[in-house]
Amino acid sequence: MISFDNVQKSYPNGAAVLDGVSLTVPKGQFCVLLGHSGAGKSTILRLVNGLVEPTAGCVSVDGSKVTSKTLQAVRRKVATIHQELNLSNRSSVATNVMTGALVDVSLIRALVGWFPVPIRQKCCEVVSLVGLNAEHLNRRVSTLSGGQQQRVGIARSLMLDPMVILADEPIASLDPSASRDVLSHLRSIAHRNGCTVLCCLHQVEMAKEFADRIVGIEGGKVVFDLVPDQIDDQALKLIYKNYDDPNGQVVVRESAIEHVAKTLHGHAA
Amino acid sequence: MTLHNTQNFGNQQTVPNDSNHSWHLPPPYGAKTVLVIIVAAALLLISGKKTEIDKMFLLLGEAAGNVVGLNDSSQVIDGGKKVVNSMLPIQIFEVTEISRIENFDPDDLPMFSRIDNEEVTKTVVDPTTLELSTTTTTRSVVYSPVGYLLHVSKKMLETIEIAIWATLFSIILSIPLAYYSSANYTPNKVAYTLARGVVSLLRAIPELISAMFLVLAFGFGPIAGILALAFHSAGFLGKFYAEDIENANKGPQEALRAIGASKAKILRYSVLPQVLPQYVAYNMYILDRNVRMATVIGIVGAGGIGQELKGRYDMFEYGHVATILVMIFLTVFTLDQIAGKIRSKLI
Repeated sequence: MISFDNVQKSYPNGAAVLDGVSLTVPKGQFCVLLGHSGAGKSTILRLVNGLVEPTAGCVSVDGSKVTSKTLQAVRRKVATIHQELNLSNRSSVATNVMTGALVDVSLIRALVGWFPVPIRQKCCEVVSLVGLNAEHLNRRVSTLSGGQQQRVGIARSLMLDPMVILADEPIASLDPSASRDVLSHLRSIAHRNGCTVLCCLHQVEMAKEFADRIVGIEGGKVVFDLVPDQIDDQALKLIYKNYDDPNGQVVVRESAIEHVAKTLHGHAA
Repeated sequence: MTLHNTQNFGNQQTVPNDSNHSWHLPPPYGAKTVLVIIVAAALLLISGKKTEIDKMFLLLGEAAGNVVGLNDSSQVIDGGKKVVNSMLPIQIFEVTEISRIENFDPDDLPMFSRIDNEEVTKTVVDPTTLELSTTTTTRSVVYSPVGYLLHVSKKMLETIEIAIWATLFSIILSIPLAYYSSANYTPNKVAYTLARGVVSLLRAIPELISAMFLVLAFGFGPIAGILALAFHSAGFLGKFYAEDIENANKGPQEALRAIGASKAKILRYSVLPQVLPQYVAYNMYILDRNVRMATVIGIVGAGGIGQELKGRYDMFEYGHVATILVMIFLTVFTLDQIAGKIRSKLI
């Protein structure tokens, strides 16, 4: 379980990123955060594993507040999956997955790369759980496809049986079928293992298809908190208005999704 | 000119013509560039006078004239001829007087060698009559047809061994130096500044100079050579390693930091796999460099083939010097080939 209690965050240069976010995500829920780039989604995730400290308010994981004292204990329970995958491309799949349990390995063993037997067993277990084969274990990550690589990232995050999985745009670099594959794995892990999964996405349709709950973030605030069926153009306008629009006017004639698609497309080009 | 051509080429209805006329593409070079070139040329002229570049061209011209038969003598050609003549033929065999060999055993001769009798003609001055008299004596020698080549090969091997040990020590020494002098892993500012200082200092002292002092401390021989090379190359490797650690992709490192892994573990699993191919390339280069430098530092008595070279040079035995130079060239060339093969396999 993760809870945010009126969390505020501003950077030393005065830029306010979060402006009073209150949110509680229960155990076993696959919760998706939607919002345009810079809305504060990533900051919300980074608050949970202590990579960012809140300016005011408090974040707690499984009932214990995230502070510099509890950080080590909290990070044990929290696993992260990254947008750029953040794997060591030249290392093998097995090595990458086992680094997920590095905190449980003594320094000497870690330096010579001699992982204990339970960790090696766990590695095989999670690699099969994300749908990779035994023959993948000793392959270099760079030889896998994007979708397979992200599965390695998920396997790595499962090494310590986390209570919380944070996924920062996990499908940003993947094609649609690999994206579905990754999201369905995340959802099944949430439901089966009872993990709390907090996931940032830009793909509205994907979010509607896989999420248990969708939270809209705009200007550092929660602007809607709905189940996927309730998401409509009205709700999406709340998070994607003003996007790339200097005059701050909502384009009424277009549907919000078309508008988003256009602006995103224009942005990418 | 270029702009004009482009306009003709892209003469399309959709592009209004007058807007093109207001465009301005400045020429790539201007008055500023010309000024810089003039100043640089003037500086080079002044410096050239000081470093006798003019004289160099004069001598080279003279040598060229001598070659095509325009003038009779050229300092450069004469000097070169003298060097080549004194070096040829290069020394391959070795003759050792038996009476100079301690505990000589005729049944245990070195490889390919045989006992020979050699006539030695000596001219001596009679101290009483002050007349010159010539006496011919025979002495027994061990003649070995490739003796000197073997001797030089042995020295070359010692040189390579010095280089390998020096490279090994420099790698070990530069790992902690790199850790403390990479801005994103150093524990604090003091350690960072200190480590950067040490790395610069090690690099700043040429190995020839440090070998001179190390010879005083450790005596003549390979120890001084190994240490001098190790210290100097640790200065290089420490800097290269640290810069690669700083420039390594941040993503994988943040992934492990989020899990709660310690700095050492992050370095081992996020940074090392990224930088390893580059590190191997650096180490190969340092080994290559150490072999070349190990031949030089022997000149101040720090072991290896350089010591032999210096000794022969001082005794005007240029045939021997030539053998050594050929050997050094062959070694460096061979090493280059091997290093290239290894590098292409690893990366």
